[in-house]
Amino acid sequence: MNAYSMTGSTMDATMTADAALSVRNLSFFYGQTEALKNITLDFPKGCVTAMIGPSGCGKSTLLRVFNRMYDLYPGQRATGEVMFDGVNLLESGVDLNQLRARIGMVFQKPTPFPMSIYDNIAFGVRLHERLSRRDMDHRVEEVLTRVALWSEVRDRLRSPASGLSGGQQQRLCIARSIATKPEVLLLDEPTSALDPISTARIEELLDELKDHFTIAIVTHNMQQAARCADQVAFFYLGELIEMDSADRLFTAPRLKQTQDYITGRFG
Amino acid sequence: MVRNGTHTVKSYEQELGQLRAMVARMGGIVESQVARALSAVAEHDGDAARLVPEQDPEVDALERDVEALAIRLLALRAPMAGDLREIVTAMKMTGDLERIGDYAASIARRSLRFDLADGRISLSGLRSMGRLVQENLRRAIDAATQQDADRAMEVWHSDQAVDDYYTALFRSLVTYMMEDPRNIGPCTHLLFIAKNLERIGDHATNIAERVYYSVTGDNMTGSRPRGTGTSSVDAS
Repeated sequence: MNAYSMTGSTMDATMTADAALSVRNLSFFYGQTEALKNITLDFPKGCVTAMIGPSGCGKSTLLRVFNRMYDLYPGQRATGEVMFDGVNLLESGVDLNQLRARIGMVFQKPTPFPMSIYDNIAFGVRLHERLSRRDMDHRVEEVLTRVALWSEVRDRLRSPASGLSGGQQQRLCIARSIATKPEVLLLDEPTSALDPISTARIEELLDELKDHFTIAIVTHNMQQAARCADQVAFFYLGELIEMDSADRLFTAPRLKQTQDYITGRFG
Repeated sequence: MVRNGTHTVKSYEQELGQLRAMVARMGGIVESQVARALSAVAEHDGDAARLVPEQDPEVDALERDVEALAIRLLALRAPMAGDLREIVTAMKMTGDLERIGDYAASIARRSLRFDLADGRISLSGLRSMGRLVQENLRRAIDAATQQDADRAMEVWHSDQAVDDYYTALFRSLVTYMMEDPRNIGPCTHLLFIAKNLERIGDHATNIAERVYYSVTGDNMTGSRPRGTGTSSVDAS
């Protein structure tokens, strides 16, 4: 039993009608291993939801479920429901290319394609839309401006993306993800390989992006979750233990397990 | 409530322990200041009266030390949840303790300035109020050191009785003054002493409220219990 299912107030705070993603009774298996156990939670539109918990608690697995990345691997399966725009995205008929354009993902290490800065953005867009040269230029400028990278790279759009710093590469990856105009952005420890200034830039960026996207972020950095997130979900051993506003969870969590984890009394 | 398990980082745990020890030590000194101040008034103990202000510098130094350690913990450990609440509570609680120490010193100094030994004015009401305030302060400090929300709640509820004592004492002292103008001097001093005691009670209640928040994460709900007629006395 967890706080999520126990307390009415938590239910009210998190079970919003206006959810971009609604997870219901989701379980996930790596072969015989149950990595997520009957998870139910909502990701409200226009909010940043952070997922915290020790390694192996299932938080990254949850992100992988949302854009069906597990489909690439045999022996991995999900049961339950993840409702997205009226459709259960776990169903077999879902168009995965469309899904991944609508639910973008950014990984822990920057993963620029071995091509120019411009093409890194244009590559994904071309898969889904046919834009004129002018419109594509406009799209590239728009997303690079939105991730505050435009002024830094405008004169070298044709240079390889690998020449950018780690922080710039990560912002480029976020720009690449948002170029296909997704509704949800998934971030798996997006700043763990970055220095504090690049981290601050990304966090500032999240604050601006949440006006346009629903954001789910997995982080090991509790301060980051506290700074960026509207609501925070704590996972342990595949279970959702407690979910609440960041404000409440970091000052007065309801459960001892959560308290022990966030104060460093774990294990 | 039992404190949570030990922190994984031992030095963090040690610093939290140090903070608790300093607050407990400060609480102990302030309790003894209040006890001496009451004995100075009720038992006409001049030695006790002189000792109370002498303890002030130590209390002030502890307040500064607690504040410095709390700021250090906030900056270096980025505490969360129960740790965060405990550190912030320690910082605010020392402010209350320091004020209580000041009121005790004020009572002690005042007791040296008039003579009540002739027995014209009964001190039984003041003694009773003093005992209750002392008891509340002791319980508030115990609640803090033991992180006991129930005990904090007891203190909070018993503040009304302190206010009631104050109201009764106020009325009886005014009556003494009306009966014989020679009583005006000592009774004025006693009125100030009663007011100081009432303030000590309020600060003990503040401590109880802070401890309750520190332990539970919730604020005590509702307005603080008030004795009948207190507001009219305050306005006098």
